[in-house]
Amino acid sequence: MASEIVRNLRKDIHVEARSRTALNLTLSFSVTVTLAISLASAGARMSPGTLSILLWIVLFFSAMNGLSHIFVREEERRTETFLRLYSSYEAIYLSKLLFNVAFMCIIETAILPLFIFFLQIDVIHSAHFIAAAAAGGLAISSAATILAAMVARAGGRGSLFTVISFPVMMPVIWVAINATTISLDPKAHPSWNPCFFLLAFSGFIVAMSFLLFRFVWLDE
Amino acid sequence: MNAYTIRAHGIGKRFSKKFLFRNIDLELRMGESLCVTGPNGSGKSTLLRILACLLPPTEGTVDHLRDDGIPSTDPWAGYTGPLVNPYPELTVMENLTFASRGNGSLSAGAIIEALGLDEYRNRQVRHCSSGTVQRLRLAAAAVNNPPALILDEPTMNLDDEGKERFERFLDRMRAVRIIIIATNDRSEERICGRVVRLGL
Amino acid sequence: MKWFDRITHSIHILMPLAIIMAFLWAPPADILGESSRILYFHVPLAWVAVFAFAVSGVLSILYLSSKNETKRDTFDAYAHHSAVLGLLFTLMAVITGSIWARISWGSFWNWDPRETSIVIVLLIYLAYLSLRAVIPEPNRKGRIGAAYLIIAMSVVPFFVFLVPRIYESLHPDTIINAERTVHLAPQMRATLIVSVCAFTALYGRLLFLQGRVSSLAQRIEEIYDE
Repeated sequence: MASEIVRNLRKDIHVEARSRTALNLTLSFSVTVTLAISLASAGARMSPGTLSILLWIVLFFSAMNGLSHIFVREEERRTETFLRLYSSYEAIYLSKLLFNVAFMCIIETAILPLFIFFLQIDVIHSAHFIAAAAAGGLAISSAATILAAMVARAGGRGSLFTVISFPVMMPVIWVAINATTISLDPKAHPSWNPCFFLLAFSGFIVAMSFLLFRFVWLDE
Repeated sequence: MNAYTIRAHGIGKRFSKKFLFRNIDLELRMGESLCVTGPNGSGKSTLLRILACLLPPTEGTVDHLRDDGIPSTDPWAGYTGPLVNPYPELTVMENLTFASRGNGSLSAGAIIEALGLDEYRNRQVRHCSSGTVQRLRLAAAAVNNPPALILDEPTMNLDDEGKERFERFLDRMRAVRIIIIATNDRSEERICGRVVRLGL
Repeated sequence: MKWFDRITHSIHILMPLAIIMAFLWAPPADILGESSRILYFHVPLAWVAVFAFAVSGVLSILYLSSKNETKRDTFDAYAHHSAVLGLLFTLMAVITGSIWARISWGSFWNWDPRETSIVIVLLIYLAYLSLRAVIPEPNRKGRIGAAYLIIAMSVVPFFVFLVPRIYESLHPDTIINAERTVHLAPQMRATLIVSVCAFTALYGRLLFLQGRVSSLAQRIEEIYDE
């Protein structure tokens, strides 16, 4: 199974590297939104709470922009039967999940420094800040994978992905905003609880997705 | 694999309340071959997908039985059809390597030779002609050395040379395999031992 | 389904009874006065909204695990109908809640935990129905809808845990405890119980009728095709 997952992942990386549209578009989107916020705020000092909200809104919508691609591409190019023939459901799901987690990492690595730089953010508790970003990103990409599979099977329209993802990701966004706010606040005492919550959420969603994936991808 | 049997009993498939076909019974053993023909829309592709266990039938059962006559929980047939598309961004060889699960597979090199794909090994599929892509589909179906080959329109897009290579290739494989083909081409029926006509 | 038909006929008695009790029999509450009567409508609506959600969820699980084709179609149809009704009841709960909020607290919307939770339920319903609407093939529509609802349903406990910690509560727990009826005057409690039963019966009746309408529509279509 592990070798199958690696094989799938390698295949996806090759395919994406040779077409590169998704990654480029998503990164462009993220950078544009971040700059838009910085320019529109015209140097105004914002509270930790406001900054966190803005950060997670940008991360959420960047995720909505990019994380459905890995499944929608298979449907659009009609390669999903080829994939299904030569790989098991479990391996397909897990390799797509790993891809999305990596994709989200790349998005965050692009957005966070820009955010900190352009909005002049003072990261007080940096370990907690990074942990919150990482755990939140993991949770978002975990939920996004199964939802992306559903959207791909439903015809792949981008706004549908956002509509169905938002209710499911709401807990993640709340907790992540909360954790990020605390890490930016000099007066607060941060705890690791929000990160544990996000990790638990990720684990739970991955388990549910693993069970449900074959129903989403099964042929009728 | 000494013996492999595909047994279908009372197969029917319904899409949106209309039955495409019903009560189809088949039994195929190693070395036997079957050709499914019929006009467009008669359900040939659907029947093949059901026999390959890619699609569940609305009625009836399909079993792939291994040596001991016990139904296999992991039915395994090499399948290809018009909707099976390899990855356009990968080369012929990369697609074939992806398809080959690496467990006792026939040498990808030998299959490439047999089907005349040698000069296209390192060409990306998006730059290949439809005939080349069809050969790749056939190669992928056979590369894992499956006990059954279920091929939907195998000679679609193939030129005369391609068709000849395909028939020779099939001849080498058929002795120890079950072959099921669906085709619109009447002349291909002679490749197979038995013929089933749908849509009557 | 005969028993379902019979039981939900009780709506014809329960609803008039609930309305009479709500407006004439139950006494007005201590602080809120006559406007507290909206309690007998708002709480049952919210309860049914969540109940319908649970019913859809359970039917979705049954749909995915069932092997029998006709049973599966029934499960799917009823899961969908329950979701549509659930959406309606949720909207009515939000409207009655807003009216009551305006009267009691001065503004229509306050981001209180319960209000927030019901909005999440609303969003899930909308997402589920949009997802279904976009897929043409019935089998795929049913499967993907069911999978989505199961995922959304299993995320709800996370909300229930979180929401009170994120938003402070404005809901009148201390004045009239709507959930733990122990704090209500006996007449009010009785009215509330009758009202909850009435609205549940209403939901059941509408579900039954909707199921019948859609199976008749399907039958007509089949005959037409033949």
